[in-house]
Amino acid sequence: MGTVASWLCRLGLAALGFATLGTSGRAAAEPHLVLYSANDSTVNSMVADAFTKASGITVDVISTGSGVLFRRLVSEQARPQADVIWGVSSSLLKENSKLFEPYAAKERNAIAPEYRDPNNLWIGTNLQVLTISQNTVAIPAAEGPKRWSDLLDPKWKERIAYTDPANSGSSYVNATFLLSLWGGGDPAWTNIAKLLANTRVLNRSTLVFEGNGSGEYPLGISLEYAGLLWRQNNAPVLVVYPADGTVAIAEGVAIIKDGPNPEAAKAFVDFINQKGIQEQLLRSTFRRPARQDIDLAAMPGHMPPLSALKIMPYDDAKWEASRRETLTRLRTLIQSTR
Amino acid sequence: MTRPGSSGRFHGGISLLALAFLGLFLLYPLWFVLRSSVQDEAGAFTLAAYAQVLSSRYYVGSLGNSLAAGAMSMALASLIGVPLAFCLARLDVPGRPLLLALASVPIVLPSFVGAYALVLLFGHAGIVTAALRSMGIAAGSIYGMAGIVTVFTLTLYPYVLLPTLAGFRAVDASMEEAARNLGASRWHAFRTVLFPIVAPSVLAGALLVFIEALENFGVPAVLAEDRPFLALDIFKLFAGESDPNVAAAGALSVLLVGCTVVMLLLQRAYLAHRRFATNARRGAALIPVSRRWRLLATAFCWGVVLLSLLPFAAVVVISFQHFQGPVLSWQPGLGNYRNLLKGSYRPLANTLALASLAAVAATVLGAPVGYVLARQRSRVSAVLSIVATMPFAVSGTVLGIGLVIAFNDGWPVLTGGWLILVVAYVVRKLPLSVRSASAIVHQIDPALEEASISLGLSPTRTFLTLTVPLMLGGLAGGMVLVWVTATAEISSTIVLYSSRWTTMTVMMLQSLEGTAPGEAAAAASILILFTAAPLLLVYRLLRRQGGSLL
Amino acid sequence: MTAIRLDAVVRTFGSVRAVDAISATIAEGELFTLLGPSGCGKTTLLRMIAGFSDVESGSIWFGDQRIDQVPAHRRNVGMVFQSYAVFPNLTVEQNVAYGLRARRVSRRDIRDRVAEALALVQLPAHNTRWPHELSGGQLQRVAIARCLVIKPAVLLFDEPLSNLDAQLRMHMRVEIRRLQKSLGLTAIYVTHDQEEALAISDRIAVLRDGRIEQVGTPETIYRAPQTAFVAEFMGSTNIILGVAAGFDGSATTVAAGGAMFQVRGRAGAPGAKVLLSIRPETMRLAGCPDAGGPTLAVRLQLREFLGPLLRLHAALPDGTPIRVVTLGGQGAQPAADGTLNLIYDPGQIIAYPAP
Repeated sequence: MGTVASWLCRLGLAALGFATLGTSGRAAAEPHLVLYSANDSTVNSMVADAFTKASGITVDVISTGSGVLFRRLVSEQARPQADVIWGVSSSLLKENSKLFEPYAAKERNAIAPEYRDPNNLWIGTNLQVLTISQNTVAIPAAEGPKRWSDLLDPKWKERIAYTDPANSGSSYVNATFLLSLWGGGDPAWTNIAKLLANTRVLNRSTLVFEGNGSGEYPLGISLEYAGLLWRQNNAPVLVVYPADGTVAIAEGVAIIKDGPNPEAAKAFVDFINQKGIQEQLLRSTFRRPARQDIDLAAMPGHMPPLSALKIMPYDDAKWEASRRETLTRLRTLIQSTR
Repeated sequence: MTRPGSSGRFHGGISLLALAFLGLFLLYPLWFVLRSSVQDEAGAFTLAAYAQVLSSRYYVGSLGNSLAAGAMSMALASLIGVPLAFCLARLDVPGRPLLLALASVPIVLPSFVGAYALVLLFGHAGIVTAALRSMGIAAGSIYGMAGIVTVFTLTLYPYVLLPTLAGFRAVDASMEEAARNLGASRWHAFRTVLFPIVAPSVLAGALLVFIEALENFGVPAVLAEDRPFLALDIFKLFAGESDPNVAAAGALSVLLVGCTVVMLLLQRAYLAHRRFATNARRGAALIPVSRRWRLLATAFCWGVVLLSLLPFAAVVVISFQHFQGPVLSWQPGLGNYRNLLKGSYRPLANTLALASLAAVAATVLGAPVGYVLARQRSRVSAVLSIVATMPFAVSGTVLGIGLVIAFNDGWPVLTGGWLILVVAYVVRKLPLSVRSASAIVHQIDPALEEASISLGLSPTRTFLTLTVPLMLGGLAGGMVLVWVTATAEISSTIVLYSSRWTTMTVMMLQSLEGTAPGEAAAAASILILFTAAPLLLVYRLLRRQGGSLL
Repeated sequence: MTAIRLDAVVRTFGSVRAVDAISATIAEGELFTLLGPSGCGKTTLLRMIAGFSDVESGSIWFGDQRIDQVPAHRRNVGMVFQSYAVFPNLTVEQNVAYGLRARRVSRRDIRDRVAEALALVQLPAHNTRWPHELSGGQLQRVAIARCLVIKPAVLLFDEPLSNLDAQLRMHMRVEIRRLQKSLGLTAIYVTHDQEEALAISDRIAVLRDGRIEQVGTPETIYRAPQTAFVAEFMGSTNIILGVAAGFDGSATTVAAGGAMFQVRGRAGAPGAKVLLSIRPETMRLAGCPDAGGPTLAVRLQLREFLGPLLRLHAALPDGTPIRVVTLGGQGAQPAADGTLNLIYDPGQIIAYPAP
């Protein structure tokens, strides 16, 4: 037994040695930022490089879906690993605001109050406008839907791609917005049922964008940036701003409470809100800036200004409160219309 | 049934050590995640989450879909794997060595990349579908249950093929000859003598297919469209953007683990009365068959293997297409590789380093565990065998988050470093190394170890100086299997990685989710190159020793 | 050279007492065989002595040292296995040197002792062949050399010859016996083959259901089996059920198989059921010059000519089969009606109370 014991001891010691090596042992002196981002890698590396260049602070980006990011944040609460979270929807930011440290960004006044937190816990960086994407090879431009209500036509059966609202925040906003638009109550649910009957419900929003771009699904309940991005890259995609109204969802940035590098975090929030950076984001990936002082007509994509769209109010609090039951009802509808 | 004194202590010590490791890095982290499924807000015990999940038609349907997909994949993988193993072991099929090597390759590809590539080829608007349609052939949809089961079958059948092949080879020729002497036809001999002997291997492999199909998230995420699947629902409830419900996710996870445990217990019950010492002294010879049969077997073997390599072909083909932003243009070009290699080689180095460490650690841990499981039948080893297979059934995301909660503060702190990734890989891939170690130990005569002990070496020294060298072939196989699957791991990586330890799969997922699916395909192609090569190499070595990966 | 003592040794598997309070003493230099059908506990007992199976109660002693709590690797026993258990990854020499390496014997001593051990089993020295190049007999020699080289306190043999063909088996058992005697080693030998046991042993213990049925020299066991089980197991004896009748002061009359037998001594109270054991070779054909004693009429059914021997298969008046073995040179011609008269010695018939 002596040999077993010594063998195990040695193994244990080795493991211990590894354990100390394996933990993050970054020198504290180096100015540094850990960024959790739900944006795609192109945007992340562009912003990170620009920030390092401007401030001398190096950036470690952790990038994945916002659901996973918040799950990580919640799990790490006892000893936060991240400084900043960025690229997540305002509803998630509101819901998780207890994780954040308030900070009054320098240029916060350039951003409309409805797109930032009154207590400065988070601030909007860009807006996602709900749109319909149309593949013009599958459906000639003129023959597509113009309004949300056009999507109820049975001729679109199984031709509309829609992201599972249980997995996508914007998809949930879209469904609940339509419920409000159609007056709420049973008549609105009847319409939603008709709409869902026409859809293919996919598990991730990228599948909708891609499927619509490739013609896999002729129509997509989508986001403005995706349609513009695909069109920019020569995919036959038409972005339809529904005439019966739509919603602009803010995506924003927040500083993690007790994060390891609070000063770098503040610098990043100020940086990301700068006019030049917001323009750059628009140029590269069609993120509609939260700032209202940028001339969209002069920019690629030629986005219409918010004032030209029929932007409807969206009752965040109400739909947040009834989230679970609404989702259950949506899920039941989805399954019953298959 | 013997519980020899000092060997018993050796076995017991290993079991306890392994249980301690799995307790610390599997059960303890999982408890943090799963306890919410049995506690209400005040912390009191409740099964409300289970009641809620089980009374929901949606989740019951989701469970049904997953079980159906698992069962069908298991059955089909066996239907493909067993005859394929037989043909490769006993028939003179041209190109057998190459076939054998290629047949173990499907495990290499991360399933989410494979599924993406398949959609581009066979989706509603896929290039193959469109070509077929223009020729007037209506191709079936790749989406839904049929597509998912097909993809699972074609990617997971190696789990059945590899152990079954080893089983066929381990059957002593005399047994079959004895049966044939007694007047049995070949088919009868197969059914009554050969198959019962290889049945435990088939079963073990089929079970892995079932569990893997149940837990897999990447394939249904792309191909399920709106059909609910358990692994997907767990992810959505756990880390979805809009409906996080950790209690329900925990309850579903426990259900999934429960299904696995039931299957494992059934397997144990079946194997309890069957012990086949398959110590072939003389391997069975090739069976001479008529030209027609040989042709048929050749077509079958090559057909299955090439079909299973389709996702690879798709990924590689797509990686060489030109992408404009996220949009595929079907123009050949090297842009994806250019863009990918413009970045850092770091993720590739990380992936290789992390997977190598994990493979070594999983083998060091898995070898003694597999040894004990093969040699000892006690209550402790029964518990160990179930706990050591559990990681296969636990969603990587759930395990990852559990590890974060458990090892983020206090001691030891592991988050943010590489060790936590290695730990996650070791835990998740341990079933593979344990199984391959067990498989090889089953082929070692216990009398060898007893001889060594009676010659004066303690059980520990006997294990290290005699058993380990005898196991080497199998251990190398298991190590490569862990290595290869660890390089393709994504679901726990995504919650555990830090930017310095970004892996290839993280890059692939980000590119695929973001705006550069072409780079994802290129990254996958590079990963395939880096993982398939050692796999083929080890296969050559193993073949010489007559060993097996599983 | 060590005496072995087993004292009320017990081992159970579930509800089965595989070894049921066995006690025995094996003298120094003795070859002691555990003989019995499969499942009788002989292998379990051997494995308990080797240390591969726990002793639940009772004790095992090598000389005056109690060893049942000593780990297997410290018992200094040499064990020869049915499957040879020659390490396939080591050469012949390395196999034989294995136990010496474990004992940290110097390199030079290892070389000498390995050569010596190989010579003992008549294998060439400096043997760098691999096990897969050897025949079964050679493998078993390697296994034996590997045990002898460590100078074990006792040698244990677990059916060492059962994987060899008949001729080699006979040859090897002579060699094993010769080695064991010349080295003066105490040995325990497990087998289910009674002929092998008779040929090789100083003493035999016949085991049944975890208990010792009888211990004795091969001659005693064969000639004077104490139970019907031992009698039957030790050779192809005829066991015939009968009923005891009168006792005339020297012999008992027993009615069995439709005939009346004379059995020396009191076989049982009148009316008691008894089992008669009549060895085939104890009967003679009537008409042989040296024959004398009670006769028995049987019907001849089949004759097997075996060269030196002639085996007759016959039936008693009520049809009970009986076998007779005589020297091959005898004619054994039955009468016209198939009847054959046999002469037997009442002293050679053993009667056991019927169960």
